[in-house]
Parts: sequence; structure tokens; C-alpha cells
Amino acid sequence: MGGAKDSKKQKIEKVNYPKLLRELSKLNDELRFFTVINENVSEGVPFSVKDNLCVKGFESRAGSKILKGYLPPFSATSVERMMNKGFGFLGKTAMDEFGFGSFGVNTDVVAKNPFDDKCVAGGSSSGAAVAASVMKNHVAIAESTGGSISNPASFCGVVGFTPTYGLVSRYGLIDYANSLDKIGIMARSSSMVRETFEIIKGRDGYDSTCVDKKVSALKKKKIVVIDQLMNGVSEEIKSTFQVLLARLENQGYAINHVSFDFIDKAIPAYYIISMSEASTNLAKYDGYKYGMQYGDFTKKYNEFFTNARESFGTEAKRRIVLGTFVRGASVKDKYYTKALKVRTALTNKLAGLMKDSFILSPTMPITAPKIEEARKLSPLQTYAMDALTIPPNLSGFPHVSFPYAYIKGMPVGAQLVTSHFNDYALLDFVSEWEKSFEYQFKHNL
Amino acid sequence: MKIGLEVHVALPTKSKLFCACSTTSEEPNSSICPICLGFPGSKPMLNKAALEYSLDVASALKCVSKNRTSFVRKVYFYPDLPKSYQITQLHDAIGVDGHLDLEKKRVRIRRIQLEEDPAKIIREDNYTLVDFNRSGLPLLEIVTEPDIASEDELREFLNELRSILYYLGVDIEKELKVDLNISVSDARVEVKNVTGIRNLVDAARYEIKRQEELVSKKQKIVAETRSYNEKSLKTDASREKESDEEYGFIYEPDLTFYKIEEKEREEPIIASRIAEAISKKYGCSKKTLLELVQFDSKALELLQHSQGKWPIQSIINVIEVLKRYESIKLSNEKFTELLEISKSGHQITDQIIKNVTSGSHVKVTVSDVSSEEIDEEIGKMIAANPKIMLEHEKNPKALNFIVGAVAKKLNASPRLVSERLGLVLKKGFKN
Repeated sequence: MGGAKDSKKQKIEKVNYPKLLRELSKLNDELRFFTVINENVSEGVPFSVKDNLCVKGFESRAGSKILKGYLPPFSATSVERMMNKGFGFLGKTAMDEFGFGSFGVNTDVVAKNPFDDKCVAGGSSSGAAVAASVMKNHVAIAESTGGSISNPASFCGVVGFTPTYGLVSRYGLIDYANSLDKIGIMARSSSMVRETFEIIKGRDGYDSTCVDKKVSALKKKKIVVIDQLMNGVSEEIKSTFQVLLARLENQGYAINHVSFDFIDKAIPAYYIISMSEASTNLAKYDGYKYGMQYGDFTKKYNEFFTNARESFGTEAKRRIVLGTFVRGASVKDKYYTKALKVRTALTNKLAGLMKDSFILSPTMPITAPKIEEARKLSPLQTYAMDALTIPPNLSGFPHVSFPYAYIKGMPVGAQLVTSHFNDYALLDFVSEWEKSFEYQFKHNL
Repeated sequence: MKIGLEVHVALPTKSKLFCACSTTSEEPNSSICPICLGFPGSKPMLNKAALEYSLDVASALKCVSKNRTSFVRKVYFYPDLPKSYQITQLHDAIGVDGHLDLEKKRVRIRRIQLEEDPAKIIREDNYTLVDFNRSGLPLLEIVTEPDIASEDELREFLNELRSILYYLGVDIEKELKVDLNISVSDARVEVKNVTGIRNLVDAARYEIKRQEELVSKKQKIVAETRSYNEKSLKTDASREKESDEEYGFIYEPDLTFYKIEEKEREEPIIASRIAEAISKKYGCSKKTLLELVQFDSKALELLQHSQGKWPIQSIINVIEVLKRYESIKLSNEKFTELLEISKSGHQITDQIIKNVTSGSHVKVTVSDVSSEEIDEEIGKMIAANPKIMLEHEKNPKALNFIVGAVAKKLNASPRLVSERLGLVLKKGFKN
């Protein structure tokens, strides 16, 4: 593979950090994609870390006010592994608060799209996607719960890879929904993604759900397109996607269009499970143990933590309220338990579809919207934006978003999905794709 | 009248349930880490030793275990709960549907589950402190069906359960923390967080009486949660905010499903059953035997080893003496020596035990020595050791030397020598 050789070259290449830091700081004033820049980094290929991954001694607040000032006493396993391999920690990247969002606007540091700074960068790994897009030699460690890597990768024109659930340790990840959270990688090429994946994957004594399974590279000659997933997709994206399918057909892939009604249940199941888990994860933020300190200890505990929790953003509050409701004893079977069953059924059906095929779809139904437009969307409209990215995320299937077209100067991504632990097949596919398609970038730090 | 219990038992693991912190630190907040403090980004890792202990208990209580176990989050807001949820069990508890047999009754065990202890709250006059050393300690909760019908049964059940736990190597030094569910009529009243057997029995007695009085006055018993006040010996209604609705149990997604391997677990030692068998065989009191062995594995070992070889009463007597002098930890051989000494009519004293255990004793067979001979020998000894005579008023143990030496020389019973020495000294000895 050509890519692997390139990446080795990149490692030997000496990074001019003073220059990079200067330029980065300037660009960051414009695009607001880093929340913290590490001014002391001096060597190694630069990598950035989504703000919900702990880095020892660096403010890690998952885009939230409630964790303002939190300096973790330990680093996430994935971060530590990158540092041990000599990569240079460049800083923390912006994100929607706790990962709750599709456009990166649910936080105080709103990253802007490098192709058009009036547009969103996507979400929730907004800053990571921008970082991967604007630097020629950079890997961004990001995280996806329901599409937080694919989505901004598509909007910012980079490769965004979400491994099989459990392949990368979540130790040090500030949880959104533990049964769905996956640490992944964003970069300008599949080879950089692969190199990083090799480093961060593998068993970890600090995460019980992390496994040491052998990762395969089983190439599929068939591609399944699920009709229902195309329903909400914009016309202009639909037409570019047809061109992509035609190209792949030319390259020898058999394209099968299938109808799969049940996939519509993925969004409600996802939001029920993720909000249930999120509402328990956020319970710990009561304002006296870490992050923002609420000084008035004369108050009764109930009043104290209620005041402290006013610092959550609107979307976080919405998910706490809804998540608490759907797991309440009297409605639990109707929502939470049922959602778990839907997840299992969906996983089995999708696994069946992918026995000898990949699943391919556009990553997002639209190109990056204007920041103001995104802010105006109702929660339900926003949740509907995740229709394409949620199914593989809900089932823990590995998936990758790669740029395949540009519409009016804005990048468009396609999302390829395969069965559990067949992650390398995705990277091989994208690596092949990169031989015949050149990605475009606006900035080249 | 029905009583059901929820008994919380601390498991004797070296580290906490989900992290490597020590379980035995004394100084407040000295045994803590990001995991038991619930720091953002930390994840729990199950302590397999705790799982093993739990399965031992489940097996001893004849519970049915599934082939897997899993954990849930129970959410409530309280300063002692760093994550604001407790990791506990619901669907796949360690064991269900077991039982524990009392003398005249079977108490069914509904469920046994493994969970983490919250931190310790220390309330002062105008402030509250939290000690997180306790946060994450492994607790086993044993839930019974409401099969206990009297104070005596309650006491018997608790002792029986503690004995079984003791013989499984589960620490019972820490007092059991128990929630009592008591219903005299239809309404179920829960008395929460009572510690210690005496308090439990007192709390139950008060609560039964209170409910019976309400019934006799034809008043309604309110189904509620109450707390026991150790000073007033009364139970009071307490305000309980959370309900199952609000706990909102979900699977703990940071832990996986743990396989429970099917393996033969050793038959548990049930001291009361052994005591009963021996009492029937030799016609002695079960109660006496049980008192000796219920919480004493060494006593049980000595009893089982020597039964049938010696008169049961001698065995009981020697074990009693050994326990009294906290000297029960001795080998079967030494125990046999003591039984021999006892059989020859000597009283087992602290000194004899010491002599036997240190190996410096005289093997006493039948003493066939006259008092005169002993007195004479005592006289010689005293004459030879004038210092001892000066010391013995201040230090009575000084005389032991004389007793030992005379007994050894004459092959006499030290008790007899000791008695004679007493008389000799009383009569007065002229130097």
C-alpha cells in the first residue's frame, strides 16, 4: 500500500513547531477549532485530542461549562499510547457539549468550516475535523457516539474512521453513552488513519469492554444501498452519489439496492439508549468534586447541586430530562428495554446484509449548513440529520467517511460500513479510492 | 407476622470492588483513586475475588445462579455517592431462590447481589464530612423472603447466617447492616439501616409491638420506611425520597456480562448441623456445642478430631478452657495432651496450657504421690530458693517455678502441688 510508505516519511520529517504554532494560533482565532493549544510541544508528528478525552494536566471539559477548569490527573489510554510513540500533543479540539449535537454549535467554542467560515464544521467532533482538514501532517483523535466522526469528516472533507465498538479503549473518555461511545481517528489520508489505529487499538486493563480481537481485511465485492436511507437526502447529494455508485460499478463492485423498513427505528432506539445512559453519566456533575466549583457550601445538598447543574447547556438539560424519563420504572419497558431489543434486532439484520457486502450511503443528507441555519433547527430536525450515521453507530459496526465530491466548493462524504472487526477492509477500500480521487483542502498548515 | 431481611455483608477482598484501592485504610480519604471517586473518564473494573466470594455464599445458601451476571446503575443524588449512581445488580443477580434452614423452619432467600458501598458521611454540628475510603467497598446484599415469624427466629437466622459466612471466610467482624421488613397485618413497613444483632432484635421487637397495638386499636398501619433510634429504642417514620421510578435502573454499560462457570463448590460448613449430629450421638447439649463452634473453626476442628476418642464432656471442658484463655490455636496433638491431663483429674489451668503449648510441661500420668512427700519437696525447694519467697507476695507467679519443679521431680499433678504449696505457705514457713 502506497499510503503506508508516505506516513513513514511523514514521521521522519521534522516539524517546524514554532511556525506551526504561530500559524495555528492565527487560524484558530478565525475558525475556533482548538479549545486549548499546547504551546510546549516541540517534536513528533502533531496530533490533537477531542476535548472529551482526558489529557493529564490539560483542561478537559468535553465542551461543557460544568467541567471548566478540570485538569485530569491521568490521560486517556489512546492519548498515552500516542505520546509513547513520540507523537506531539498539539491541543484539545472543540466539540458539542458532551457530544450532544450534530453541528458543533452546542458549546461556547463553535468551530467554523474551513471551506466556508459561515458554515458549521459538523458535530460533535467539530474541532477535530477542522484540525485534520487544515494541517497537512496531522491526526485528530476523535470520538463518535451516533455519528460524531462521520458527520464532521463529511462536512470538512477528511477521512473519518470509527472502529468496531470495543477495539479502542475508552479509558479516559468523558462518557456520553458508554455502550455507544467509540474512539476513532480523523486525518487527510487513510494511511495516517491506519497508522494511528495500529497504535491506539488493543486491550486495556482499564476498560472492561475493550477487546483484543483480531481485525480482518475481508474485501467485499458487493455494495448494498439501503433505499430508506436515501429518503431524506438532498437532491444534489443524491445525484453526486449516483456518480459515485457508477464509478464503483466500473471498478468491479456489484451494487444492490435493498429496501429495509426497520432501519427507521434506528433513530428512536439510538436516542432512547444514548439519552438514558447520558442522563446517568451526567448525574455525577454536582458542582463540588471536579471542574467548576460552587463555593457556597452552606446550602443544603439538594439546593447546592441543583444550582450547580444550571450550568449545563440547553441540549444537555434536554437529554438529562428525556433520558431520566425513559428509564423510569413505569415506562422503562416501553422505551429503554424496547430500544435495547430494537438495537439487537437491527444489529442482526444489518450483519446479515453485510455477510458478503459493504453498506454504502452518503454520510450526511446535506452539505455543511450555515451556522445560523443550524441554530434554527428544532431538536427533531437536528436528530433527523443523523439518520445515515446512526445505524452503524447503534450496532457498533466499523465505518468510515471519505470525501468523494465537492458541491459548490463544499466537500461531500460517503460512509462505508462493514461487519464487526473487519475494520481493515474499510481502510483498504479508502486507500484504493485515494488512488483515483484527489482530496481538496483550503488551508495547509 | 412476617419479617423479611435485606442483609449487607462486607466482603473480605484486599482491593475495592471496581478499583485497586486497599479496603483496609484507616486515615480518612487515604485509599481513593479516580475510579472510586467517579472522576470523568474513569471506568470500573470488576474485582474477580469479590465475584468468587459472592458465588460461594450463593452456593452455601442453595441459590440458583444463572450462567452470567451483570450490573446496573441505580441513580440517586446524595453526597456519599460520587457518581450519583450506585453500581449494583438487578436482572442477573449472583443467585436467586435459595434457602437457609433453621432448627424448625426454612427461610427462603430471594436474591443475592453484589454492589458497591457508598462513601461514609460524618455529620458534625454545622458541617458534614465525606470519607471516600468506603466508596466502592464490595458489599453483598442477601434478601430473604418474609419467612421469619418471631424474635427467636430472627436471632437464630442472623446467627446461622453469620456462622455460614464465617466458615466461608467472609469477614463478620464488621457488624451486619440490615434493612428489616416487618408486617403484622397487610402493610409492609421497612426499618432501614440497623446494625448489630442486638439492635436488630430490639428494633424488630419495638416495631412488632407498635404494629400490634395499632391493629388492636383497629388503626391503619402505614406502609412506609422507618429508621431505628438506638437511644430511644424506637422506630420513627423517615422521609424517603427515591422510589424505583426515580432510581431509573439501566445496565451498567462499562461492565460486560460476566460468565459464571459451572463448577462444583465445596460443601459449606454448617456448624449448627455438625453440633446437632454430635449432640445426638453423644447425648450432650447442642446449645453448648454450638456456642463453642459457631464462630470458631479451630474449636470445630478439635471437636471433630477428638470426638469418640475421649469423653465428650472432657472435650467440651477443655475447649471451653482454651477459649477462655484465648489459647484455642493449638495442634491436635497438644489438644490430646490436654485431654490426657484433664482425664487424670487435673484442672486445666492457664499455666498448664502454656506449658503444654511451649512443650516444657511434664507429662503427667497418674500421680501416686502422697501429700507429705510433696510438702517435703516443697520445703526443700523453698529452702533452696529464698529469693522466691521474698518476691512471691508482690508477684504470685514467682511460685510457679516451685510448683513446676516439684511437680516435675515427683511426677505429680501441678494442681495438687499448687494446692499443697498454698497450705504450706498458710501454715507459715520458718526459714
